[in-house]
Amino acid sequence: MDIFTIILWLITLVFLFISFKKDGAKTKKALKMALNMGKGMAISIFSIILAIGLILTFLPPTEIASFVSKQSLFLATVGSALLGTITLVPAFVAFPLIGTLVDAGVGTVPSVAFLTTLTMVGLVTFPLEKKEFGTKFTLVRNGFSFVFAIVIALVMGVII
Amino acid sequence: MNIIKKAKDNLFFILVLLVYLLISIFRPTMAFESVKNSAYYIKEMLIIMPVIFVLTALLDLWVPKDKIMQLLGKEAKGKGLVLSFIIGSISAGPIYAAFPISIMLHKKGASIRNIVVILSSWAVIKIPMLLNEAKFLGPKFMIIRWVLTVLAIIIFSWIADKIIKDEDIPNKEEVKVGIEINKKACIGCSLCVKTYPEVFKMDGKKAFVKDYDEDTVNKEKLNEAVKVCPVKAIESDL
Repeated sequence: MDIFTIILWLITLVFLFISFKKDGAKTKKALKMALNMGKGMAISIFSIILAIGLILTFLPPTEIASFVSKQSLFLATVGSALLGTITLVPAFVAFPLIGTLVDAGVGTVPSVAFLTTLTMVGLVTFPLEKKEFGTKFTLVRNGFSFVFAIVIALVMGVII
Repeated sequence: MNIIKKAKDNLFFILVLLVYLLISIFRPTMAFESVKNSAYYIKEMLIIMPVIFVLTALLDLWVPKDKIMQLLGKEAKGKGLVLSFIIGSISAGPIYAAFPISIMLHKKGASIRNIVVILSSWAVIKIPMLLNEAKFLGPKFMIIRWVLTVLAIIIFSWIADKIIKDEDIPNKEEVKVGIEINKKACIGCSLCVKTYPEVFKMDGKKAFVKDYDEDTVNKEKLNEAVKVCPVKAIESDL
């Protein structure tokens, strides 16, 4: 557990304690709401996780890296950005991976494009995001994130 | 009908299960591998989601709507933007952990722009991740990427705000909250207690809701108590 998660837990527990002192009934209601929220999202989150497991098996990040490193800059950038949208890997996997990409000579542009879409654009989280925020919001947010991922990558390529 | 609707709601889940079923038949080792790959995410979810749900519910009940509107609404401008970046950046957990909080904030009056900022920064500019990034890619890389990403989010959240209307976000039915008395409004007339003494009681100068069982509540009597209150202080969605 990283420090931020621990802090989040502490804050919430303190908040819960104060809330209980001030109004027990209201706090019970809050816990019931939390449980309902959890029930509402459980299947979706579980599907996302199982899907990630599948994708990581069929499309291991290391293989993506070796694929990208063989392409031309343009193909590598668009390709890695696209591949980044399907996969969703945790930060502690993503950064070392990008590190190896850069070390292997892939170049900053495709690496950054990959990193940004990896975390921001989610094909696997799309159904859940759509359910919660509606189709239009989800399309717009993911679409812009994708476009700007490439823009960020290109600008970084110029600067670095 | 019910089954069809349920299946439609969980189409993605069914699809994923189907794929698992197929590969367990044809490539059992790959199915096993996939489950193993999911393990980390399951652990991550169990650590982060309960606390997110509880925090969201607590904020929902304790922070008044006008406060959220003032902090994160359309009028909050730059201050709201900064606050949204802070909320997103200090957070832990995957992007879907940001969904319940963002929905709650939007329901309470946060603008579309700030919701987009929270979701996006939750995904890419986490402070817990910065050290990791500097370690593997160098501090210069980290700082430039960080600045560019913040700029990009500022720009595209502004565009998104122009395109998306508040009505585009589905208004989900609220979670049942039961019977509630607005203590500020209650004048202590005790009419509700007289109408339905099994549920309401007086405590000092205010009416209170007793412990009740949702299934045995007499809805007619309850509705009568709601109606009879001269200041409309009783709310119920049973």
